[in-house]
Amino acid sequence: MADKKEVLRLQELAHQARVNLVKLCGAYNGSIHMGGDMSTIDVLTCLFHHTMHISPALQDDPERDRFILSKGHGAVCMYIIMALKGFFDYQEICDTYGKEGSKFGQHPCKMRLPMLDASTGSLGHGLPIAAGLAASARQKGQKHRVFCLMGDGETCEGSVWEAAMLAHAQRLGNLVAVVDRNKQFMTSYSEDSMRMEPYADKWRAFGWHVIEIADGNDMTQVVDALEHLPAPESDSPTMIVANTTKGKNISFMEKQINWHAGSLNKEDMQVALGDLEKVIEQQRKEL
Amino acid sequence: MASVTMEGYNSARTVIGEAIADIGDKDERVWLLTPDVGFGCKDFKEKHPDRFIDTGIAEQDVVGVSSGLAYDGNMPYIIGMMPFMSMRALEQVRTDVCYPNLPVRIIANYSGLTGNGGSTHYAMEDMALYSSLVNMTVCAASDPVQLRQIISGSLTYEGPMSIRIDPGKSNRIIYNEKKDRFTIGKGYTACEGKDLTIIACGEMVDYALQLQEKAASEGLSIRVIDMFTIKPLDEDLVCKAAEETGRIVVWEDHLMKNGLASAVADTLMDHMINVKSFKRFGIPQVYPGFGSAEELYHRYGYDLDAVWNYVKGLF
Repeated sequence: MADKKEVLRLQELAHQARVNLVKLCGAYNGSIHMGGDMSTIDVLTCLFHHTMHISPALQDDPERDRFILSKGHGAVCMYIIMALKGFFDYQEICDTYGKEGSKFGQHPCKMRLPMLDASTGSLGHGLPIAAGLAASARQKGQKHRVFCLMGDGETCEGSVWEAAMLAHAQRLGNLVAVVDRNKQFMTSYSEDSMRMEPYADKWRAFGWHVIEIADGNDMTQVVDALEHLPAPESDSPTMIVANTTKGKNISFMEKQINWHAGSLNKEDMQVALGDLEKVIEQQRKEL
Repeated sequence: MASVTMEGYNSARTVIGEAIADIGDKDERVWLLTPDVGFGCKDFKEKHPDRFIDTGIAEQDVVGVSSGLAYDGNMPYIIGMMPFMSMRALEQVRTDVCYPNLPVRIIANYSGLTGNGGSTHYAMEDMALYSSLVNMTVCAASDPVQLRQIISGSLTYEGPMSIRIDPGKSNRIIYNEKKDRFTIGKGYTACEGKDLTIIACGEMVDYALQLQEKAASEGLSIRVIDMFTIKPLDEDLVCKAAEETGRIVVWEDHLMKNGLASAVADTLMDHMINVKSFKRFGIPQVYPGFGSAEELYHRYGYDLDAVWNYVKGLF
């Protein structure tokens, strides 16, 4: 079982990330991918603050873990979580986000942010890149892992399954992919459009070691799952299917197609911040 | 007569195989990947199995994986088929290789109307598509000697590269291994001349040289430029040829619009150079169907006779 104190710490960090994101969404005069950010924020927080061997000081360590944000539209959520780890300054993100010349924009750009492991944004591209990084690490005899976060919607892309086959064939046990299974695409519910279930079985059939998280917005479950990764020397790539809720913890966003992306006015921002406070207070009591 | 096996069918690919195995010996950053076009990969695979990946028929994947390898400091070479490398994987080439300016090298055959695979298997658009990508260097090899030099030169060349080749069954060796030197980014004047310049690449260079010989016997002096780097184009050499010979023919086994001829025309216009004549020979707006390369060049009006008739008519 996950250590309660650590879960509490990560929960607080995820809460802080949600608050920071909501405030940025209120201040920014443009659209933010709130729905998918809110669904993935707990997993992403656990990855950056608990699971991955990374930090600003480790940047030049050849055996630090690598991370590919295949769902590149989650960039601002990642910047905010990385800022909490000391990679960036939150205020700078808020002041410059999306502006001409900024390092921080809608999709991550390695040309502007060299500490990232790839530029992403076009969906279905991340897993092949991550597989290449994992193959390179194997060939060099390095012991780190390569993590890749995908949205469930982007796994409709054929290129994902090309890489899924390859990772199995190359026995890339140092590759860990996470799918944010929020069951919503941009403009529809996944099961209405694509009938993706039985989803985890698809990855099993491709030879992956599959870990399912029943509630990927429950930090205890997330920590538990990510603490049980096979050794990077193992033979099978790992797929974590995190069942999540799009728009999680904000009452008027949860499971709403309209809130794939958007911009918050002052009143809605206050409602959202109030919702987040209620949730964290409840979480503090429970643990 | 012996049967021709798949391996024997691919002389240019053997050159690739040897050249890549050579640079793989010299430099540990070199990887070789292929989406199931592995004939030229034998030497490398045997010598460096830990740096070889066959992705199966998956062009998007082979480019994505190469991108990941290159992000980690490696120099991946891909051997594939050009119609699929240039179209199926175009977005991966653009976004995962050219955008981060990574040293991935794409070497691909079935360029132009070679290989008799029908319209699905001809790369007619690849130079247009790849030339439009920021950071991409686009090459078209005209003979095995040149191909070998392009591959060894690529080891120290920055950014992404593509090299188109034909299937290579009956390549004529045009160049002399000891004498002829090719620099990526520079055109090669294969033959000096003063009455007209033929700017050609790939398959068509051989024909251009045959035409030049024919013309010489009739008293015409034809300059032949082997423009084996289509992008970045050697603009100085184009301008010099236009100014010195006054007449330009561009000859390519590619759609005659948006390929080499268009790049040459852009250059002439950008430099405000007036020429006495300008003519492009290549594939018109058709999906060409079956036939040998020679038959198709004839059918679509860009074989040796067609170009020779045009040139003769000028003088």
